[in-house]
Amino acid sequence: MPIKIHIHTTHRQHTHGQEVVSVEGSTVGECLNHLIKQYPGMEKALFAKKDRLLNHIEIYLNHASAYPNELAKPVKDGDEIHLVTMLAGG
Amino acid sequence: MLTSREQERYDRQIMIGEIGQEGQKKLMKSRVALAGAGGLGSPIALYLTAAGIGTIRIIDHDEVALSNLNRQILYWEEDIGKKKVDSAKRKLNHLNSTVKIETIGETITEDNVSQLVEGCEVLVDAMDNLSTRYILNRCAIEKELPFFHGAVNGFEGRAMTILPGKTACLRCMYRGPVPQEKFPVIGVTPGIIGIIQATEVIKYLLGIGKLLTNRLLLYDGLKITFNEFTVSRNPNCDHCGSGVRKE
Repeated sequence: MPIKIHIHTTHRQHTHGQEVVSVEGSTVGECLNHLIKQYPGMEKALFAKKDRLLNHIEIYLNHASAYPNELAKPVKDGDEIHLVTMLAGG
Repeated sequence: MLTSREQERYDRQIMIGEIGQEGQKKLMKSRVALAGAGGLGSPIALYLTAAGIGTIRIIDHDEVALSNLNRQILYWEEDIGKKKVDSAKRKLNHLNSTVKIETIGETITEDNVSQLVEGCEVLVDAMDNLSTRYILNRCAIEKELPFFHGAVNGFEGRAMTILPGKTACLRCMYRGPVPQEKFPVIGVTPGIIGIIQATEVIKYLLGIGKLLTNRLLLYDGLKITFNEFTVSRNPNCDHCGSGVRKE
């Protein structure tokens, strides 16, 4: 069973409108790399530089915060990753 | 003992088993600090006023602009150019003249925040930027004030409740500063999130229900879905943990 990445609304322009993308990998970072291979536009949407997430990106693994060291967190088949952007408005 | 008028005004909520007369008396003795009187602050202030909170201190430096009126439902066209706190007080006192509305028309800074919220028992985040939210977060932790967070963008919103020293705070997942940008929003989104924040405040003051602590609630108005994510206290947090203070 693949790992599912839930794409945030504002990022779906980079995934041809896909809300959920199936990926493979043994860590969150590997899964994101696989996502970027499929949808290269996601790289700038997530990373400030290699292995450095943008400050407003939050990652949840199986509905729990993966912070800190999100990219190194191990994943297994069937896991779900949510990519979320911080909100600031009021 | 509630007066007959208070009994009549709050009859429908006194009927709720978790509230009753004793709960209503608690609400009427409560003191709430509301930081921000905009899109989130409007529904929060209206519903807390309707519920009969004793004192609401509204802190906002801004004046009403035409571009506020799509979402800041405390203000009408006649209020354009007036100070938000003055317009808010007038409206809220028309809704419920027994609620004491205190107004502070100042900008919240690290230097004045402690004084601005002095004497209040809870602090509500209705700001429109992250940097002030972090000032409030730190203040809430230092003064051990329960802190009720909400934020919106477009059709999306989030809420979380923070009990200082006990539950995850706003900085527990902090990675670094985020540039401040003009954000898109339609009024229904802060309407939903502000009412969730007001619900949390009422529950906290009454000591009932399960608070939104260590849980981040995400709302997607385009789908009308709610997603809940668990968050944990970060022992190295630079606000509530042992971490070195960051920018």
